[in-house]
Amino acid sequence: MSEIAVQALGVSVAFNGHRALDGASLSLPFGTVTALAGPNGAGKTTLLRALAGLIPQATGEIATAGYDPRTTPPARLASVRAYGAQAAYSAWDFTLSDFLFLSSDPSLCDSWLERLQLTDLRHRRLSQLSIGQKKSAHLALAISSLGEPFGKIFLLDEPTVGLDLARQELVQKACLDLALAGAACVVATHDMNFIRRCHQVAVLSEGRMIAYGPPAATLTPAIIYETWGVS
Amino acid sequence: MNRTLLAFGSGLFGLVILIFIALSVGSAGTGWGDGGGLMLLRAPRILAALAAGLALGIGGAAQQGVFRNPLADPGLTGVFGGALFGIAILLGVSPGLAWQLPWIIPLAAFLGALLTSVLLVLISGRGNTARLLITGLGLNAFTAAGTLVIASRSNESRELLTNGAYGDWLGMATFELIWLPCLLCAFASGLLLTLGRSFDLLSFGEDSAQASGCDVNRSRRWAVLLTALAAAAATCLIGQVAFIGLLAPHLARGIIGPRHRLMMPLSGLLGGGLLLCADTIGRAAWPQSPLSAAAVMALLGAPLFIWIARRSHE
Repeated sequence: MSEIAVQALGVSVAFNGHRALDGASLSLPFGTVTALAGPNGAGKTTLLRALAGLIPQATGEIATAGYDPRTTPPARLASVRAYGAQAAYSAWDFTLSDFLFLSSDPSLCDSWLERLQLTDLRHRRLSQLSIGQKKSAHLALAISSLGEPFGKIFLLDEPTVGLDLARQELVQKACLDLALAGAACVVATHDMNFIRRCHQVAVLSEGRMIAYGPPAATLTPAIIYETWGVS
Repeated sequence: MNRTLLAFGSGLFGLVILIFIALSVGSAGTGWGDGGGLMLLRAPRILAALAAGLALGIGGAAQQGVFRNPLADPGLTGVFGGALFGIAILLGVSPGLAWQLPWIIPLAAFLGALLTSVLLVLISGRGNTARLLITGLGLNAFTAAGTLVIASRSNESRELLTNGAYGDWLGMATFELIWLPCLLCAFASGLLLTLGRSFDLLSFGEDSAQASGCDVNRSRRWAVLLTALAAAAATCLIGQVAFIGLLAPHLARGIIGPRHRLMMPLSGLLGGGLLLCADTIGRAAWPQSPLSAAAVMALLGAPLFIWIARRSHE
């Protein structure tokens, strides 16, 4: 296996003529957590979805675990990369124990539910949970889908949003632990504390990549002012 | 797991009892007749009701799964109407041809159902209840009007088509007429069950499903095709019947939860049971001129439909 988990070169995405992503390039090794930062509408989710293989019309070069995610069969891709969507959506009112039934690895899913402090809520339905609890449950399902984290890729869209402080810390720690175990994590997030703990940061603005590198080099006052308009 | 076993066990037990009751009531009096003669006469009708109910229970669950919408039902979304319209066009164009080979009527029904399904997917898009139901309403109205136009222009098929529109074809059932649609019901239902995992993954949205290894477009295409086949085969057996594709999955979900791999088979079992029950009630209560299974179904299903519509909020 190569050291590089995700490689993107000049990736662009247009939705109905609007350029949501404009020539983004990244190279992410295993063993790291990379934050995608930037204001609303900067293209974080679009980049994450393109890397996950969810945007067939994305142009440019993408290699996720060595596969072009746009042409690789979904089942093969699903064995090497997990994707955690931003909204914890479910059409049906499952209980959390149903999640174990839906999971590809029930015992691992169970241990992630426990790690995210959801074990006591197991017999509740989704409609009886708060947004943060639902979000955590979906995260447990997504993360546990890959089994052993070594050599796997986790693409998580705003994994800490809506979570209480304790669970935010649990999720940040979980991402760092996955990287320690040899996985690559990419998280789209607005949480500056989280971003500063990541190994790499890609700062996006209006679909373009403004800066890319370790937090100390990318989150300079000048770039923060240029990107978010705050000092 | 115990709850699942209990649900399927008592469902099957209830169904067996129901079949015995259905075999013993009818216009020729109660009982099985000399040497089971009456039983043989009633058996095709019972088999047809079970097969159609199975296909509709599973087809309804599949349509709800693929649209991720508890109100999707082939009867309400116009797919059923399309199947009957297909039969009506065949009878209108060439009434002689229809009865020459056993597969011609099922084929016409399938083409009608498939065309309506494709239109439904193209027009209604995904996920939005209002758009889905309004599109279904339109398709339903159009196909029903088309069927009526053909029925009113054709002397020989008028009664047949009108009875079909009222879901009153079960009374005509003979083994020669029903064997192929029954097989098609079983075939479509069986294949739809294999899509259970896809529907489970689709519960969390298309992105999540695709990311979890489900080929969303492929699953959707198969679901639409097979639901159309199930609806068409059921139409050949009974005519038009609304609400059963709504009632059966809803009850199944209430009993063992929304996991499709468990819920769909139970929905099929309940669908068969409900339709047979409706038909038996119609025959037992008015032995000389039985009320159609579809009419009984609608009396039971309509209040439930309103109740679900009130409860489902997006």
